Parts: sequence; structure tokens; C-alpha cells
Amino acid sequence: MVSIYENLTFLAVVVQLFLFQYVRSSLLDHDGALTIKIEHSLNFNKGIPILTERGNISVQSTRIGQTLVNQKHLTPTESQLLNDLAESNQFYQIRAFVNEEGNERNKFISTLKACMIAESELDDRLSISLDYTGRVVAISDIIASKSSCEGASMSLEKLKYFTSTVYVRHTEMGPVPDTASYIQRLEREKEAKEKGEGKDNRSFLAKYWMYIVPVVIIMVISSGSNAENTGASN
Amino acid sequence: MDGILFHVSSKLLILLLSISYFTQEISCLYEDQAGKVDWKISFIGKVKYADFGNNKLLVATEENVIAALNTKTGDLLWRQVMENEAEQQIQFFNVNKDVTTVSGDQTVVSYWSINNKELIHVIPIEGSHIEITSFYLETGEIKGIPKKINTPWLKDAFKCASSKQYFACVQKNGEIEQIRYINLIAENSEVLSKPIEFSETGEAEILSFEHEIPSVLLVKNNVAKIVHFKNDVEILAKTFLPNVVNVKNDVGNQLYQLEINVNNPEKLLKVKGQDKDGNNQVSVDVEYPKGLGAPYILAGQCRTNNCDLLLSSIDHALLFVRIPEGKILWTREEALSDIVAVEFFELPVSELDASIENEFKTSSQDILSMFINRILTQSKQLTKVFIGSQLMMNSMLVRDDFGLHKIIVVVTRIGKIFAIDTLSGQTVWSYRLPHVVPFDNRNGGDVMLFVQRTARYSPFPAQCTLLAKDDTTGNTVMFQFDPITGLSSRGVVKLDRKVKQAMLLPYEDKNHLKPFITIYEDHSVKVHPEESTVIVKKHVSSIYLYMVDEDAINGYSLQLIDDRLQTFRHWNFLFRGSKLAGISTRPSGERVHSQGRVLPDRSVYYKYVNPNMIAVATISEDPVNKQVLSIYLIDGITGMVIYALAHKRARGPVNLVHSENWLVYTFFNERYRRRELAALELYEGHVQSNSTFFSSYAMSQLPQVQAQSYILPAVPLKVTVTLTERGITNKCLLVALNTGAVVEIPWALIQPRFADIPCGPEESCYPYMPEIPLHPEATINYNQTLSKVKGISVAPARLESTSHILVHGLDMFYTRVAPSKTFDVLKEDFDYKLIILVLIGLIAASYVSKTLASRKAIKQAWK
Repeated sequence: MVSIYENLTFLAVVVQLFLFQYVRSSLLDHDGALTIKIEHSLNFNKGIPILTERGNISVQSTRIGQTLVNQKHLTPTESQLLNDLAESNQFYQIRAFVNEEGNERNKFISTLKACMIAESELDDRLSISLDYTGRVVAISDIIASKSSCEGASMSLEKLKYFTSTVYVRHTEMGPVPDTASYIQRLEREKEAKEKGEGKDNRSFLAKYWMYIVPVVIIMVISSGSNAENTGASN
Repeated sequence: MDGILFHVSSKLLILLLSISYFTQEISCLYEDQAGKVDWKISFIGKVKYADFGNNKLLVATEENVIAALNTKTGDLLWRQVMENEAEQQIQFFNVNKDVTTVSGDQTVVSYWSINNKELIHVIPIEGSHIEITSFYLETGEIKGIPKKINTPWLKDAFKCASSKQYFACVQKNGEIEQIRYINLIAENSEVLSKPIEFSETGEAEILSFEHEIPSVLLVKNNVAKIVHFKNDVEILAKTFLPNVVNVKNDVGNQLYQLEINVNNPEKLLKVKGQDKDGNNQVSVDVEYPKGLGAPYILAGQCRTNNCDLLLSSIDHALLFVRIPEGKILWTREEALSDIVAVEFFELPVSELDASIENEFKTSSQDILSMFINRILTQSKQLTKVFIGSQLMMNSMLVRDDFGLHKIIVVVTRIGKIFAIDTLSGQTVWSYRLPHVVPFDNRNGGDVMLFVQRTARYSPFPAQCTLLAKDDTTGNTVMFQFDPITGLSSRGVVKLDRKVKQAMLLPYEDKNHLKPFITIYEDHSVKVHPEESTVIVKKHVSSIYLYMVDEDAINGYSLQLIDDRLQTFRHWNFLFRGSKLAGISTRPSGERVHSQGRVLPDRSVYYKYVNPNMIAVATISEDPVNKQVLSIYLIDGITGMVIYALAHKRARGPVNLVHSENWLVYTFFNERYRRRELAALELYEGHVQSNSTFFSSYAMSQLPQVQAQSYILPAVPLKVTVTLTERGITNKCLLVALNTGAVVEIPWALIQPRFADIPCGPEESCYPYMPEIPLHPEATINYNQTLSKVKGISVAPARLESTSHILVHGLDMFYTRVAPSKTFDVLKEDFDYKLIILVLIGLIAASYVSKTLASRKAIKQAWK
């Protein structure tokens, strides 16, 4: 037992402030910590995944998304198994067991293509989606890639260390009808009208060029043809 | 338009602005166009009570409708729809000079005029025990003081019936069954009882029975006896069937009951009339339509020798039978008032077109046989052109150029399938599936209707499959049929298990038939038809599905284990105690025409079009915010939550509409006590990650979400979006309101605006207005009120501009909408004559001028 713990490599401490566009972290009334135990399956027995431990993630604060990732590295046999999955274009599955405060334990499943995790050299992203009270509703393991694959083989050296990034993703506040700015806009328009700012201050030519140009062209053409006629009769 | 006056100036501005925008978008109807393409059929629901009065047939139904029907044609004279059928169900119905109804748990007595649907009085009654209150119906005044009756003997209220002033119940004291009754209006009323003498075994039941003398029916083991309350209770000796009905004629009372006619296979039904002692028997054979379920008598009326009987079948059809002729005067299919699934079907090509298609299909390369084939088919075509095909001419079910003529197949809750012609609204065929009811699980709606093959592949007929629940066993039943003709080669197939989920696959076999898979509780998968298993095995890695369970949504993929198909759980999404309020996926046939939105600076903002996205709405109970509505956008393959948002203090019902790269939902905001509509739009950004194909696994960046919310100044019942063949036409939301209107809201009006980009006419963008203007001109059903809308179905026509719309509920309304106007057809009032005249005139003028010119040239030459 002791040796296993020694082998645990402290891979990464990822402290991440959530990158979403309009995040107001104050939205979450509750703040809490999560501990997530992750298991993965590198081979299947008649379609039933055989699970082995992959590591632990602890989210110290769901509000600011501060996480601590602690994952085992893959043994050569495990790397080989993963490579076999990738070569035969099979699925790689993780199961996350989430312990929330209040001792609730929930299981989440996420599956991705083994060749994609192999191609990314075990650089995956874990998305932990929370509902509006900060409870976990889904955990997904994804690979940042522009295309999917249909089987791939990698050198086993590259399939050893997980470099996972964890994103804690909150539920945003829904939009509300924006009546205030609309009324403001209407009032501004009204004021502008009263002041007469809306008047067209462009010059006469700028305003009516589209009417003037055809008239001029017609005049030029007709005068030109007149000149021809007179020339011909002469 | 300018004449509309409003007291609030800001409102006036909103309105003027919106009118000026709307006038470009909405094409309303001229008076003479009403009913040209649209039709409406009104229903009343399953009839509960019926009576004759004032030459009308008055009915009260389970949909909480009171209506008057024309006895000669069965047409609706008037209809009064009452709300809330769950709590205010009509319990008593009486036709005298006018109509009296008693409805609901919190009892309300209503008094209606018989000639129009006018409500004369409403009298609310409170109290939970028997209490007698007398009213003057005409004025609604209470007569005297209410009288209370002590009812400790009332244990089982279901075994009671009332008849005029008598109230009677069946009670069992050990082995002895007795009838206890009370005269409610007698001065010193007391409960009397009489033992029941019945030779039949089983439990006795009591049914109400209309008669001059107050009476009830005692039923035991499908045998009925009439009980008269006079001074004493009298149980008549003669036995009847439980559906016996008393009809008063000139001579006296005649009792009618329905019997099955064993001897005559042509006329299956026998109406038997007799008096209460079994004398004066009349027996009339009725040619009962074979497609209808078993009938029972609702009401009757006699005049001299003629008697009219109103029958209802167990599949909710109303029939009006005249005896002694035994002729069915009219039938009303009230099953259509509760539709659970709708599908639009293209019609097959005409025989002429089919033969032209077949002419080029021959595989033979031999010149001579090809030549013979060509001569043969062309001579056939010639004869057809001149003589015309009799078969097709009769039915006229032939595809037109624009795909405007379609067949709508609807499945009703009672298990009856109807095919309806879009042009006329008439039923082409109907088919009753006995003991078939909708599913009660959360997957894929009430029933599943799969279009396996359309009529495009002549000579193969179109094929459609219905999956529903067997009422008796609870297992799944399958019914495969040709939607054009209604023919089914195998009939109703009973599966031996419950199907948990089913899915139509996009792959076609060599006969152009799309197989579908059924998934069972034990994760096993079956392919229908079985020969297509090979196809499914070939595509096994690209088939994914999801199932909604009590507390989670689970995603599955298919896998092959020992050459057997199985589901494999791929992902899960937990509700965490919330309740599912709605789930929506994109319409399966939808095409997205443009990949992005062009911004005013001429750059393109690419849409995030994920065909696998599922929109889920949940409602959670919250101690602080009462109820919270959460919306999740989930990728159906990886299970990743793409986006999530929540509305606090929001309440259902939630309507979700998901199309292209956007989602629209409506809900009730409890804080401001108003209905709101929110729109979300997803974009990839200025760079497209992969322009050739979409993979859910390849997620390079999260989509950028634009959101905007609006006040909806109406109560939406159902929301949907228009669908066109190629998706070029602008989208329009169709919102069915509780007022009976279906309004069209252009998507451009609710599309979220970019915060940093100007919005105005130059950018073809409507400035943001917090309240969605709902204009009377935008109502697609103009003045045709549609009651209790339960769904709106949309299908594209072959004309890009046009969509077919079927709104169903208590009324069925079909119309066509063109959100961007009919840009691809000439207007109806296009002046063909003028253009022909002008053309002829021009040709004539050119010839005249030519001769004139030549003449002039000759003259010039002679000069």
C-alpha cells in the first residue's frame, strides 16, 4: 500500500479562475468544496468497463473554481492498453465519484474516443458543470481538438502523464427584459427631436445627388445627339 | 392604423415603431382570402351527457364543453368551452326549457340559454355534505333556507345515483345487498331501504336512468333491472342490458338497447325497442360502420313513428341513428379532439410521372429491348394523357408541383389513426387500433411515429410505423402502415416486452426503407426490419441515443458484444432533485442554409450549429426563490453541458423551441407576475473551427452565447417554429395563445442583439424592445378562435417560401404560412391576360413597324 502512495506523482496544481465571459461568481449563494475520485477503464470485458483508479481532484471552492489535481501516471501495461483502445478506435471511459458537503455521493460517467486522448498525449480537460446552487450535475472529459479521429497509435512514452485541466462551470443568471435602457433610449430620442438635432444638416447636393445626376446625364446625352444631328445635316 | 389612440405616450411610441417595422414583415389576409388555403374543424370531445331540446341536440363532454348540434347534419350550432376540465368537470346536465349544468368539486350550478351559448346564471354552492338548496333557475334567487341531510350511511359515494328528487345508493350489509334511498324534497325525508332480489352473482352497481317516474338502473353481471321510486320502491322483473335507454313517444315509454346482430354480417348492430314489460317489441338492423368501436346509446327522441337515437362508440365517435329505417344520418369523429402525434406525408407521383421515371430505370443494355421498352412506355403515356387514369382521377391524391397537397396522419389518444387531406380537410382513411394507448414514460412523447419511407420511391409504397402501449398488457405494440392508403400488411403486432426507447436511423436499405431500433429494459437492441441488422452493425459506432429517467438523463451508444447489439452507457446528467419541465432537440429534417451572420463591418460571425444538442429545462423547488428554472444545453454524444443558465422565481409551464443555432423558451416570472420569453443564440466566433463536418468530440472552444429576454404580453400554450425545405426563408415563431389566437413572431424581432454593434435599419436589425408586440394582423388564424391548443405541427412544402401548419386541440386548424412572403410564386391576382395582351401587341407592333420600315426604305430608294 505504501509503495502505491509513493508512486503517486503530484502532477499539477491548477489554480484557475473561471474564464467565462459574463461570470459573476457572486451568483452562487453557496460556496462549497468537492472531492472527486476518478476511475477510468482501459479495457472492457464483454462491453463492461473494468475500472482502475486514475486520481483525485479536490475543488476547494466551487465559487472561484480553485482546484487541486492529483493523478497517477500510467504503468507501461496501462499505456499499452490505452494504445490498444486507440488503435481499435474504441472508447475510453471515466467515472467520477463526487463527494459533496453533506456527504452526498454521486456517480458521473463520461466517455470519449480513446484515439483522441492518445493523440492529445493525455492532455484532457475536465468540465464540472454546477447547477445554480453549486451542486454538480455533469462531469465531462473532453479533448481540445479541431477534428475527430478514427483510430491512432502513439508511442507509449507519450502516454504516461495526465496533464488535466479542470474547469468548474457555473450556471449563469438568465437574461431579464431590459426595460430601463429602452425607456432611456426613447427619452433620448424624444429630447433629440425636441431640440431639433435630428434635422438633416447635409448640403443640398449631398441630399439630392441621386436626382441631380440622372438629369445631368440625360442633358449631356441629348445635347450630344443634338450636336451630332446638326453635324450630320451640315 | 394611425387612428389607434393610447393614453401612455411611451406606449404609443413603441407601437408606432413596431407597426412601422411590422408592416414590412407580416403578410396578413384579405377578407376574400379567408378559407382559401386554410380550414378549421371544431370538435367537442367525448360526449358525457346528451339530450334533445328545442329541435337541437344538446351535449356536455369530458372536455368541459357544452354544445348544441344540428340533428339533421350533426353540425355544431354553438359551443361553450369551459376552463379547467380536471377540477370543474360537468357532473350533471339537464335540458328543460334551457340547459342546466352542475360542475366541479367546488360545485357551480350554471344555467345556459338553449338558443345561443349565453350564460344566464351561475350559482356557486359550498359544503361537503348533502345539502339541499332550491333555486329559481330563471332568476338565480335562492328559495327558502338550505336544508341539510344527515348521511352517516353514505360510505361509498361511487355507488350512488340520483334521479329527480330521489337519491339512491347500493349498500352491502354482510351478504345482503340493499338499496337505500331518500326523497330529498319531501317535508320529513328519511332514509328507506329495500333488499335487492337478483338472481345474478357479483356486486350490484347503480346507474342513473332517465324516466318520467324517478328511477335508477341496478346492474349486476351485465344484466340491468329498472328501479322505480313511486310511493314505494319497485324493482321491475324484466331484465335489460346496461346500455338501455328510455325514450318517450306518443304512446308511452319505449326502452331501447343495442345488441350484436349475429345473423346478419352486413348489418352488425341491432337496435331493440320494447316497453317495460317486454311487449311491443321492435327490432331494427343498423348498418354499423366497421371501423368504429362498440357503441352505446346516449340519448333518444321519438316523434310519432320515427325515433332518433344518439350513439357513442368507445372510440369517441358520435352517431345519429334514425329508426325504424336504421339509417345512420351522420357521424362525428370526436377522437380528433385529442391528437398525440402528427406527421405530414408527400403524395406519390401520378402514374404518368411514375412511368416516365421507370422508362429510364431499365438496367438492360440491349438496344432492341431498350427501344421496345421505350415505345411501350411512351404509347402507354400517350393513352394516359388522352384517356386519363381512372383510379388516380377519382382519388386525386397525386403530388403537385409545389408540394402543397399533402396527407396529414394523426394519431389520437384513444388509438385511432386518421389521414387528412390538406386541401379539403376531409378524412381520407381512418383506422382504429383496439386497446392501444399512449406511453406513460418520458421518452419521445406520447406515441412514436416513424416515417420509414416516403412516397418518393415509386413503386415502393410509403411506410410509417407507430409504437404505442397495449392497454391490457402494458407491452409495446407496433403498427406498420402505408400513410397514403392506410393499408397495413401485418396489422397490429404485439411485442412481448416494453420498449424503453426507439429511434429511427438515417440509413436506408436497398428498398429505401429506413430501419428503426427498439431498446428494451435489459439494454438489448432490436432492429426493425430484422434484415437491416447488417446496416446497423456497419454504422454501430455512429449511433447514439439518450433516455430520460426519473432522476437523470443517460446517454448511450451502441456496441457489438459477441455479434449482438447492446447499449453502452456513455454519459449521464443528474437532475439533483429538480423536475424535468421540457426537453427539445432540433427538428430532424431541418437544414441550416447560412453558416454565419454577416456583421455590419462585413466580417462573418459563424453559427455554432450542433446537430446533437439537447435543450433541457428543469424546475427546482427552492426555499428562498420558490421555484428556479434552469436551462441546460447538453451535447447528446459527449454529455457535456455546453451552457447552463437559471431564472430565479420562475415557474412553468415551460415551452422550449430549439432550431438552427438558437433556443427560445417561455416561462412565468413570479417576481413581476408576467410571462417572459428568452432567446439564446450560439456562435463559434469569427473563425470556424471545422467548416466541413461537425464532431461533438472535437471541441476546440466553447460557443459564445448571446442572450436576450422579452416580456410576452399574453399566455402562450404552445410554441413552435416554421420549417422550410432549404432553410433559406426567415424563421418565424408560432405561438398559440390562450385567447385562441396563433400569432407569428418573426425571429428577427427576438434574435439577441450584439451589445457592441449598432442596430438599425441599415444593419437590417430591429432595435431592442422589451415587450414583444403582438399584432392582430400577425394572427395566422384571423378570427377563427382555436380552443385548448395542445400542439402545433409544422412541415415544409416543396416551395421554399411555404410551411404547412396544423394546430390541434379542441379545434383542428390547417393553414400555410410564408414567413418571407411567397417570393417564389406569382401572386394570386397576377394579371396573365394583360401580360399576354402586351406580348401579342408588341409582336404585332414589331411586324407592322417592320413592313412600314421596309416600305419607307423602298420609297427612300426611289427618291
